[in-house]
Amino acid sequence: MLIFFFLFLGIFTVVMQSTFFPLLPDWLGRPDFIFILVVFAAYKFGWIHGLFYAFVLGWMTDVMSGIQLGIFPLQYILLFTFLKVITENSPLKESAYQVPLVGFSYFIIQMGFYFLYSIILPGTLPEWSWNRMVQETIIILLATIPSFIAFNYCYEFFSKRRVVHRVVRKRTGNEFR
Amino acid sequence: MFHQITLESLGPLQSLATNVSTKAKYVWDDYIELWNIRDENRRLHKKLDEYDDKFNVYLEAYSTYLGLIEKLKFKEKEPFPSISAKVVGKGPSYWFQTIIVDRGENDGIVEGMVARTEKGVVGQVIQVSPNYCKILLANAPSSAIDAMVQKNRVRGILKGAGNGGYTLYYVLKNADVAVGDRIVTAGIGGVFRSGIPLGTVAAVRKKQRGMFQEIEVDPAVDFQRLETVFINLTEKLSWEAEIENVSGDNN
Repeated sequence: MLIFFFLFLGIFTVVMQSTFFPLLPDWLGRPDFIFILVVFAAYKFGWIHGLFYAFVLGWMTDVMSGIQLGIFPLQYILLFTFLKVITENSPLKESAYQVPLVGFSYFIIQMGFYFLYSIILPGTLPEWSWNRMVQETIIILLATIPSFIAFNYCYEFFSKRRVVHRVVRKRTGNEFR
Repeated sequence: MFHQITLESLGPLQSLATNVSTKAKYVWDDYIELWNIRDENRRLHKKLDEYDDKFNVYLEAYSTYLGLIEKLKFKEKEPFPSISAKVVGKGPSYWFQTIIVDRGENDGIVEGMVARTEKGVVGQVIQVSPNYCKILLANAPSSAIDAMVQKNRVRGILKGAGNGGYTLYYVLKNADVAVGDRIVTAGIGGVFRSGIPLGTVAAVRKKQRGMFQEIEVDPAVDFQRLETVFINLTEKLSWEAEIENVSGDNN
């Protein structure tokens, strides 16, 4: 149920990101909510579910916006793996570090992405702009806080439902002992 | 005598009372009128809002009508057979400039077809599904178009610069190019016919080193506000004709 809900949320986010957000004025910023979702998945989901989720989101983004298929799934899977590795059994998983880590990973991923492209397919991307990247990082940091609160609420809600469902099933089993 | 004194003393009082009552009546009438005016004001405001809404609907319909007329004129004027497509999505990534339109294989779209509007070149189809296709916009850095300055036919290569528009490369320093000059397709390569608007020169830079000048071009098409595009079906038709010819020869 949880993963299905987040899959629907991912589909909804990809659709909104490619239809509604481009209509907003440039100065307002268009935070990358798909990226925020992948980061959230890295904090909350297990390896199998999380990798699958990152791949699906990357695939949808690729189809909606990519030129060479496979770049976004690779990007999101690397992001997921990077965050999972550095936060597992580490104090970085604490909520105080979560939001700054989003900004940091966004910046690093964008740089890595640009570097990779400039080696494999030079001249395919617009010129690197520090102003733009810093601006986008700040926007994503600002958008992360309310997004994480909302995602966390949904995560808790569906997790609780899953626990209640399990408890109810256990009790029902005991009645026949 | 007594009668006169009484009249003289009551007269002013009567006059005063009449004045006061008249004034009071006026005030009361005004007060009542004010209530009525307030009601009427509310009613008129409501009506004005309704008319405003209606006016906005009509204005929107009128501008849609004007836009459609312009598109129809463009479609009638253009020599190539084209199909109109509605833009349903825009690539969210800053790095890639793509749009999704509601036409696909079922409508005869194949990869490589050119999309245009009445303003100029939009881009090229890069991926197709049965009912939708993805178009790489002409302002993407990976796109390059043979272009020329309309006034003196000086040629160059127009490359996308992302949200910054275009840059015209390989124009010699001695070529006469100025801000405001129109840039059009050169018609080399067979993808575009010559003379299709691409944009206007926004800035010209001549560096000390090198043979060429660097020319910034503002796109003729507003990529942020694309709603409908026309996809040139010529390529598909020429392919079909070629296939028919081949199968005819085989028979």
